[in-house]
Amino acid sequence: MSDDPKAPSSMPPDGDPARARRDHQAISKLADDLLPALIAKLASSGLGEIEVREGGWRARLRKPAGPDITRRSAVRSTADGHAGSGHSAGRLQAQSRPSQPLEGASEQDAAPIAATSPAVGIYHPRRDLSEGMRVRTAEKIGVVDVLGVNQDVLVPVDGIIGTSLAEAGEAVEYGQELVRIELTERAAIPNKAADEPDPAGARGKA
Amino acid sequence: MFSKILIANRGEIALRILRACRTLGVGAVVAYSEADRESLAAQLADEAICIGPADARRSYLSAPSVISAAIVTGCDAIHPGYGFLSEDEAFADVVRAHGLTFIGPPAEVLERFASKEATRRLLGSYGLATIPGSGMLRDEAHALEEAERVGYPVIIKPSAGGGGKGMRLVRTARELEDTFKVARSEAKAAFGDDALYLEKFIDDNRHVEVQVAVDRFGHAVHMGERDCSVQRRHQKIIEETPSPALSEAAREELCQRAVRAVVAAGYENLGTLEFLVDSKGDAYFIEINCRIQVEHPITELCTGVDMVAMQIKIAAGEPLGLSQSDIVSRGHAIEFRILAEDPTKDFRPQSGQISAYLAPGGVGVRMDSHIYPGYEVPSYYDSLLGKLCVWGPDRATAIARGETALRELLVDGVTTNIELHRAILANKVFVDGRVTTNLLDRVGTAPFVAAASR
Repeated sequence: MSDDPKAPSSMPPDGDPARARRDHQAISKLADDLLPALIAKLASSGLGEIEVREGGWRARLRKPAGPDITRRSAVRSTADGHAGSGHSAGRLQAQSRPSQPLEGASEQDAAPIAATSPAVGIYHPRRDLSEGMRVRTAEKIGVVDVLGVNQDVLVPVDGIIGTSLAEAGEAVEYGQELVRIELTERAAIPNKAADEPDPAGARGKA
Repeated sequence: MFSKILIANRGEIALRILRACRTLGVGAVVAYSEADRESLAAQLADEAICIGPADARRSYLSAPSVISAAIVTGCDAIHPGYGFLSEDEAFADVVRAHGLTFIGPPAEVLERFASKEATRRLLGSYGLATIPGSGMLRDEAHALEEAERVGYPVIIKPSAGGGGKGMRLVRTARELEDTFKVARSEAKAAFGDDALYLEKFIDDNRHVEVQVAVDRFGHAVHMGERDCSVQRRHQKIIEETPSPALSEAAREELCQRAVRAVVAAGYENLGTLEFLVDSKGDAYFIEINCRIQVEHPITELCTGVDMVAMQIKIAAGEPLGLSQSDIVSRGHAIEFRILAEDPTKDFRPQSGQISAYLAPGGVGVRMDSHIYPGYEVPSYYDSLLGKLCVWGPDRATAIARGETALRELLVDGVTTNIELHRAILANKVFVDGRVTTNLLDRVGTAPFVAAASR
């Protein structure tokens, strides 16, 4: 977690139980409060990497290498992009957006998270699914029929069902956004980190 | 003819199939994995659909994903390209069960040719020479007798083995006596079965393959042969046609035999019969590849036939529409596989972003590649960046054009094997047409590069 030489080491020096306890508390705080919020923020943004600092601790999240999976359209047509380097430049631009300070990540610019399709097939949402419904992480909100075998559509994060992005019975591709999920609690980024935005604190990475 | 084809592959071959579809006026949908979203084929396609994550087992190798993609996009056929699902008879069968056409041999044909051993026996019975070998060896005395009959050197092979595991090369009767018991216990330990057989070992062999096409009505043509002897660890690097190893008469004889045998055995669609050719020029049948080959463009350059279009037409049930006399192979063609590999680091595959790319041009030059400046070479798949093919009225001209084109070809951002190609082209053994499949592994690639830079 911490690669800052001045920061407390994540391996406490032997014979300092108080310090070890403090470190453990810090780690569990990071794991319980900060990381879920950061994950949500990273998933909903076009950013490749987010880093925040709190006290001597620094947490950095990076999306796995590979193309951004949040931007989806269904079966893509050529109208959607030109071939060759032109298109590629467009992609790179999209991924290396200027960094935005974390406190700026308000409701307007934090794009909603979405439940995505687990496979290519025909989408069938759960019958009782409606906008405004509260859902929990990993809750099943529908299926994608792949040659008669259903694959579950799961909610990625606790939240509220938002706009549907695909119709019942529609053909969908792998990773396609199906239902928007509004976050129930706004990402609880510690004020301290948000108050002093670091140039490296939130940066897009191609 | 089909109305729309799902292209279930990636890289340069996805692009190649897309071009064939367009030429034929057939719609095409490119199926891509998440790692290939920005691939050239996905971008150039009229339609593209994401079938799964980067892991090929959940995308290009996932039969349900591929077939589901074909159905939801309204395709009536699937082109599997090479590798992945291209020779999977179970896949071909399921494709048909869903009312779609698999572009390749029908499932029952794939099944008939699925076992290498059975295929050798089958085509051997229709007149193709196979590597002389024994049946199961009863004991040491039997092994000595059989080795004497087929002639040393021989390879002792475990019956239950595969992929070269547990094989022993034996050059004399004495060595065989020393080895037999050990080989038997090793086979027992490794495969739970101590059955052994032996085969004649062909030293300094060349890899020569014959291209055939057979339609549903049993009309067949061959399109000459290709020599793929420039290999590194059994991976082809450079291919050429015609083979410098065969005389005109030997070539004609081999190709005729090959096409007669596959027709008699009931083969259908494009196929490639691989042979080992020994130093005397005798060709032994090894296996058949039931798909389009990576190196097909050199055959196209010499014959002028669009082989992918031909493959699609055969799968659609159309007759070949040409006879052997219509296939005229002119001149000489060479293919260089441009790979993202670092020759100085044990040919480790490279991934990263292509920062600059310039394809060569000129008379008789063809570049089949899916890369472009800014393209990210993913780390999940093979390292093929493209295929540089050159044609000339004769071999010397083809080599000269190859040298010129390789010098022009620019790929920056990832390390490639372009320099190795230039080194091989400058080597006397290659220029003389004497490369055998074991050469690069025996001497290593470093001496080639060193000699070329002197």
